[in-house]
Amino acid sequence: MKKSVTSTLVLFAICAVMAILLALTNSITAPIIKQNQEAAANEALLEVMPNGEGFEKMDLSAYELPATVTEVYKEKNGGYVVTLTTTGYGSGFVIMCGVSADGTVTGTVCLASTETLGHEKTFGANFIGKDAAGVDATDTVSGATKTTQAYKNAVKDALNTAIILGGGSVDLRDPAQILNDNLSAALPAGEGKFTKLFIAEVIEGIDAVYTADNGKGYVFVIGEEFIPVDESGNTANTTVKTAYDILVASTVEDIDLTPYADTLKYITSAKKTASGNFIFEVKGPGYGITGGDEYHPASGEYIIVRVSMTPEGKIIDTLTVSQEESKGIGDACADEKFYGQFDGKTESDYKDIDAISGATLTTNGYLKAIERAFEALNTLKGGSN
Amino acid sequence: MEMFKSLIIILLSSVLVNNYVLSRFLGICPFLGVSKKLDQATGMGIAVTAVMLMATAVTWPIQYFLLDKMGLGYLQTIVFILVIAALVQMVELLLKKFSPSLHKGLGVYLPLITTNCAVLGVAINNITDGYSFIESMVSSLGVGLGFLLAMVLFSGLRSRIDETNIPRPFKGLAVTLIAASFISLAFMGFAGIVDALFA
Amino acid sequence: MKKNHNLSILLKGIIKENPVFVLILGTCPTLATTNNVAGAFGMGIAALAVLVCSNVLISLLRKIIPDSVRIPCYIVIIAGFVTIVEMIVHAYFPALYDMLGVYLALITVNCIILGRAEMFAGKNSVGKSALDGIGMGLGFTLALVLMSTIREVLGNASFAGIAIPFLEPYKIEFLVKAPGGMLVYGMLIALVYVITSGKAPLKKSFSCAGCPNAATCQTACTASAEPTEEQKGDAQ
Repeated sequence: MKKSVTSTLVLFAICAVMAILLALTNSITAPIIKQNQEAAANEALLEVMPNGEGFEKMDLSAYELPATVTEVYKEKNGGYVVTLTTTGYGSGFVIMCGVSADGTVTGTVCLASTETLGHEKTFGANFIGKDAAGVDATDTVSGATKTTQAYKNAVKDALNTAIILGGGSVDLRDPAQILNDNLSAALPAGEGKFTKLFIAEVIEGIDAVYTADNGKGYVFVIGEEFIPVDESGNTANTTVKTAYDILVASTVEDIDLTPYADTLKYITSAKKTASGNFIFEVKGPGYGITGGDEYHPASGEYIIVRVSMTPEGKIIDTLTVSQEESKGIGDACADEKFYGQFDGKTESDYKDIDAISGATLTTNGYLKAIERAFEALNTLKGGSN
Repeated sequence: MEMFKSLIIILLSSVLVNNYVLSRFLGICPFLGVSKKLDQATGMGIAVTAVMLMATAVTWPIQYFLLDKMGLGYLQTIVFILVIAALVQMVELLLKKFSPSLHKGLGVYLPLITTNCAVLGVAINNITDGYSFIESMVSSLGVGLGFLLAMVLFSGLRSRIDETNIPRPFKGLAVTLIAASFISLAFMGFAGIVDALFA
Repeated sequence: MKKNHNLSILLKGIIKENPVFVLILGTCPTLATTNNVAGAFGMGIAALAVLVCSNVLISLLRKIIPDSVRIPCYIVIIAGFVTIVEMIVHAYFPALYDMLGVYLALITVNCIILGRAEMFAGKNSVGKSALDGIGMGLGFTLALVLMSTIREVLGNASFAGIAIPFLEPYKIEFLVKAPGGMLVYGMLIALVYVITSGKAPLKKSFSCAGCPNAATCQTACTASAEPTEEQKGDAQ
């Protein structure tokens, strides 16, 4: 018993003595280590901003910055050096990025990383001298997309940080988020879930209408304004009220297409509103139809476009119902930015739109679909009158 | 989902890309010593994996809730090695008492693990890499499995080597190291594969 | 006579019982830090410092430390000195600290140090233990420098960071990577065997029984010793 007590005591005594020795050494070396690290950090600062001088660490608590930003040094001539931690392929990497007073990248360096391929060590050189647009246009490295895309986003974050710290403001939200935030602000009862309404009536002065998914009302968009209409139809704005009444009163009936089976074979459905407007769903041969060619035995999927138009031949609204275009291009054509261009156009000027770059066949497929919608309109208008 | 994916990446890269034995040389002594027979290699590999998991489960909270809170970061090495030594001792006693058969199987490997640098290495690396608790556990599992994989792969090779006629100066450790070098060369190929899988 | 004896304690670590090439101890740092001469030299000196300090302290305390807890005591003392060396390197040689990384902390589990504590310092006087530490440490450093020279010159066409231009087109890059380390180490062990014509002492005579790694080592011992014995027999 006594033996084990002394054994334990000796072990404890040795532990204690070593701990004291360590504490002593630490008290001597810790300040030097800290000093070294600061000097090393300054060296990195100069590496990303070779002409920089008088770096000063900033207190960031007052700013709302991109989540990746961990540290910012302000430079005497108005530049900033931003340290960012980002997640790439591994557990992440840390880069430091210099941004000059005119908003261009002066240099970037990778401070620490656990990536496997090492692209983060060399990729930074691509950004030197570029502004925000230049950074956006920089290609990622195929095979290391995650790492290089993360690097690119981080550099973008650094540029945004410089703008925010310089007193400007940058919306860090993506466009979909901005729209949703605006809609929610206009109609909190919608609980943040809205769908764009397809419109088949002429409503003057309204740009778009969104309906709350839970049925608690609508939001009408006029320019930058978001005007709510509650579930019982009350609203403060008279323009909106008029439009709302038109939409509520609107009724549609299906048009039987069997008599036109030969002439209008690309129209999948046609409807007519009480006010005389038409709604068509039309097939357009995009790239999804092998090579856009539907005259040979067609294989593949059409682009299905829904179009509403007045009897006079003015397009009210368009929507992509379905599409099987190749990846990337398909996303572009399903984006309202593209098909929204047809709104308000007539038979004479619908071709004056911006094509999707690098996707002639897809763009042509849309144009063909609209052309067929006009054909159908002319046929049906004649037939029904 | 994102988290699950990053855990899978940590696991795969510590088994294949950053295999401790073959690319970082940690735990190379038992690798060269014990990997002679398949059952020994497996036993050692399993014991190391278990101890790594336990060591991480204990050292991670100690680092973040004790040493960092009290500003005693410099005691890391000394505390970790003591914790590992105590843990190994404890596991051995428990196994002996409650599962003599398992102790017979794994017990002989336990004492050697205290000074297996891979165990201390993974405990320290998890801290320096800034992993969360769950990430640390996954990384320890990966390192352990990587060790097991290397041991098992190599034991097969070893038995072949022993039967061949090798020039005298190369007999024993020399040829073993050279063979290990070729396996390590093969493992270097994984670097690109794992990245491409998740790119 | 006595002086001679001390000298032999010092020298045996450098040549006859070289820890790296003859006793095959401390393989992890040997392989990991020898891809450049500067890192290898730093590692060797750091290990030398820890070895001397721990040998001296353990020898001083050898009558106080109870036999039953000696291994934990040794580990604490060694880990303590390792941390001290680590802090000093971090403070005064930051570049070296970055280069060695986790391997610096891992000197703690280097079998050379625990092995010498157990086999020599725990049984011999302070002076002899210090000499033994210096000898073994120098042997370790020399081995690391030799190996790193081969790897860096052939693999990176440079020596201690200084480029050797005429070798540049012929460099064998894989030598500075992981597989190269094992290959060069294996070749050197074979070379040492040839030079000493198989007369290198058996690992058993060094005995690592006290080291917690003992069982591993013993297997390694038998692994490396068996052919040696056989070879000896053949040679005679």
